[in-house]
Amino acid sequence: MANLLWLQGGACSGNTMSFLNAEEPSACDLVTDFGINILWHPSLGMELGDNLQRLLRACVSGEIPLDIFVFEGTVVRGPDGTGAWNRFAGRPMKDWVAELAQAAQYVVAIGDCATWGGIPATAPNPTDSTGLQFLKRQKGGFLGADFRSKAGLPVINIPGCPAHPDWVTQILVAVATGRAADIRLDDFQRPKTFFASFTQTGCTRNMHFAYKVSATEFGQRKGCLFYDLGCRGPMTHSPCNRILWNRQSSKTRSGMPCLGCTEPEFPFFDLAPGTVFKTQTVMGVPKDLPEGVDKTGYIKLTVAAKAAAPKWAEEDIFVV
Amino acid sequence: MSDRPPRDPDALRRYIAELLASGLETETEPMPRTEREFAEILDQLRALDPEDVRGRLVIAGFLDHPYGPEQQRCQECIYYLVHRRWCDIPEISLPCEPDWWCRLWRI
Ligand code: SF4
Ligand code: SF4
Ligand code: SF4
Repeated sequence: MANLLWLQGGACSGNTMSFLNAEEPSACDLVTDFGINILWHPSLGMELGDNLQRLLRACVSGEIPLDIFVFEGTVVRGPDGTGAWNRFAGRPMKDWVAELAQAAQYVVAIGDCATWGGIPATAPNPTDSTGLQFLKRQKGGFLGADFRSKAGLPVINIPGCPAHPDWVTQILVAVATGRAADIRLDDFQRPKTFFASFTQTGCTRNMHFAYKVSATEFGQRKGCLFYDLGCRGPMTHSPCNRILWNRQSSKTRSGMPCLGCTEPEFPFFDLAPGTVFKTQTVMGVPKDLPEGVDKTGYIKLTVAAKAAAPKWAEEDIFVV
Repeated sequence: MSDRPPRDPDALRRYIAELLASGLETETEPMPRTEREFAEILDQLRALDPEDVRGRLVIAGFLDHPYGPEQQRCQECIYYLVHRRWCDIPEISLPCEPDWWCRLWRI
């Protein structure tokens, strides 16, 4: 039996909604099949008021062993470092987070806000929000660069806005069933099993990417979304086209660009007007090129690909 | 040349070629430096009567030859459909030739 506590800081509850929709395994499977005891969760917990405070204190003191501490949302430090803008169970949430993180065997950050600050930490970051162990790309965050939970691991980061439900439940099962040592983390402490490949891996538009045929409107089935509509699929580490959403589809499959929500800079360009859903260019060349490709190579590739593009690449091949 | 542009793509391509060859002055500058400036040109194009091909050529800055030090042209532009010889950006949607150019060019 593994005790799990889930708290929510500066958040929209999107990751909770995502978690409750998990299918493989489901949130119920965690309890019935994988021995996870959910001590408390903002949408599932029964305790209120004094009872909740007692429960949290018991976790901090070790009276109740805390195996997995899950945090969703940013750690709010404002105003002036007090954390008073996000109070919970009688005190600033940041104080609970600091103590519970020390008490837990494993700490798991769910969603962009908890991993690197996400939308609340976008400049000018009025709430002085941060992720647990990163603020955007900079390591440190609330718990500090050297933080290790009792089991010796840094915070396990499962980013996304929101994170896919199955990324969450599969990692929780691995930790709860004693397989945490098998989880390999990348430089941003994301499990490599999910975040070594790109959104583009498995995208149905790869042929159009290769032949440089552009989608020019949302929902078009022809064309790749990289060239005009700002798709970040070639630069974003996620399995969104391998582990489909609702087991059905993905953004790019349905004609919407990937926004790069699993990367620390999300939301990109601080949401400046004209930067969302539009490929940013300098003199007509994209500012952000596919990972590992330089400008000269990109231009050469485009010249060759356009010259080689077959006729069918210009048509909607999904219509019969 | 009639004022109403032809609908057949090949005839329309010839019609545009003649307009450009006859010295139609188009707004090749300023090139959009930011996405905002790009969007402003698209807004101007959207405001035109859909039949106003000449207006589209003028606002988009069409030329019937490559442009600039890098000799940019439709053939390498991401909006150009090579086989259809067509500019696929919805605000333009016109037949083109590979050696033409406009200021919405991007690669
Ligand atoms: S739509 Fe996006 S993810 Fe798909 S091939 Fe194009 S750039 Fe890649
Ligand atoms: S497709 Fe991109 S923006 Fe959408 S969930 Fe996946 S990583 Fe996030
Ligand atoms: S946007 Fe301009 S350069 Fe590009 S294909 Fe259309 S007309 Fe040619």
